[in-house]
Amino acid sequence: MGSLTDQLGDLVEDADVVLLFSPTASFYNRFEGTDSPVAVVAAENAVDAEEFVELPLPFENVRDRIRFGIEGAMDADVVDEGDEVVCVISIFGDAIDSVVRVSVDSTIHTGIYDLFVNSRADPGVIRDVFEVAIELGQKGQKGKPVGALFVVGDAGKVMNKSRSLSYNPFEKSHVHVGDPIVNVMLKEFSRLDGAFIVSDSGKIVSAYRYLEPAAEGVDIPKGLGARHMAGGAITRDTNAIAIVLSESDGLVRAFKGGTLILEVDPEEY
Amino acid sequence: MTGLAAYVAFLGPVPGDSPATTTATSAVPDVLTGVPERLWIALFVLVVGVVSAVIVGVLSRRLLTRAGVPEAIEGTAFERTVREFDTSTVAIIAKLSAYFIVAVAIVVALTVAEVEFVDRFWENAATFVPRLFVALLVFIIGVVVGDKAELLVAERLRGVKLPEVGLLPTIVKYSIVYVAALLALGQVGVETLALIILLAAYALAVVVLFALATKDLLAAAAAGLFLLLRQPYGIGDEVRVAGQRGIVQEVDLFVTRIETDGEEHILPNHAVFRDGIVRIRE
Repeated sequence: MGSLTDQLGDLVEDADVVLLFSPTASFYNRFEGTDSPVAVVAAENAVDAEEFVELPLPFENVRDRIRFGIEGAMDADVVDEGDEVVCVISIFGDAIDSVVRVSVDSTIHTGIYDLFVNSRADPGVIRDVFEVAIELGQKGQKGKPVGALFVVGDAGKVMNKSRSLSYNPFEKSHVHVGDPIVNVMLKEFSRLDGAFIVSDSGKIVSAYRYLEPAAEGVDIPKGLGARHMAGGAITRDTNAIAIVLSESDGLVRAFKGGTLILEVDPEEY
Repeated sequence: MTGLAAYVAFLGPVPGDSPATTTATSAVPDVLTGVPERLWIALFVLVVGVVSAVIVGVLSRRLLTRAGVPEAIEGTAFERTVREFDTSTVAIIAKLSAYFIVAVAIVVALTVAEVEFVDRFWENAATFVPRLFVALLVFIIGVVVGDKAELLVAERLRGVKLPEVGLLPTIVKYSIVYVAALLALGQVGVETLALIILLAAYALAVVVLFALATKDLLAAAAAGLFLLLRQPYGIGDEVRVAGQRGIVQEVDLFVTRIETDGEEHILPNHAVFRDGIVRIRE
């Protein structure tokens, strides 16, 4: 019969790279001296790992987390297409409890890492906007779900491809996403119609913007409404990304280059 | 008690001693009454001094701990060195203040006792001891603050991957220690004029270099402040600045980013201010 280790050993056999997701220092030290290269994927490099991929969101969806880690490792040239990657990750709770083996091929590439790291706006700004959208999705207004559309980056061009629906409440203000005041203003946000425009450095440029992009060739899943269509289309027309909170199903979606990149359920955070 | 009696006997008749007290007959009362009143006061002062020194020592240790000093100076080189000798900065400062009070008490006691042959010496010591105490305190605080500043600056610069940057925390540390040493030496009356001149030259060099190096940055920041407050143009406006025409993408304290097709011009704000802005309206 043999022990479980014998049966499951082939899961980690001849792995090219090991990805550790948010390991503790002692756990990381255990991997010192192993044959295959080790990379750490975590919110911050607490273990001083040589190869490190920063996780901007704690992606509750494990597939997204693994995808982000692998794409980040590919960007850092730790992983190449065709490699066998073993991910050591936690699915339930905080402690590491799972080993996932992934074959890296072209289908793994969804652009989720690209969305955060290689967009015009700073990664920190995109993360902050995500957090605002997720919090807005959790709270809603008076218990009712609300929708919102944030267009992040390339603000000058976006402003020129949109028009104002009403007076801009952010005119001559210097509010940045991530400022503490933004959390206080969240409830107000949900009342405003139209899109929020956020600049590369995170300044909220305008609210109440009606986007007027050319919507040709935008490929977003059928069934999503006008807000998603407008958001998706503006990312095709400019170098911005769009982060959309859906009023009907409560999901936060991110668009880049006219395609849907990421779906996040605020209730899971 | 006998020690004190012997001491008094050694002192012999002190001038101003009333002759009535020395004429007592029996042995022990003779010794007791033989001790002049001011010696008793001196002894009392000494005891009060020692007791209050202990209290002040304990109190200052508790106060410093309560004020979070141990956490604030944790990890500094001075604290680590002191730890090797099984003590701590707080303990040293507490002990120092206790010793200071004991020293003051001894001086006061000796003055009250009017011990003549030590008068001259203690007169100088009475003024010197507090200064020495302050000097020591200033120096210890200087070293600790210097260590802490070094740690903070080093932590701040950790993200900067430039080997030469490691020099900066050391410079900051020794500048602070130098100033503290100057203050301490000044307290104990050592001639520090030459050192002060050195410090002045150093400070001047730093200020001049800093002003020279950041001249443009300061000008840009001053102009940027105006631009941010008044917002003569905003993100999305089409403008022409210094011959560059494009759409404003970002305005921050130092630069304005203007973008045309495929080109992004990053202009310092004082250039924007100096050359004026053309807002293009169609």
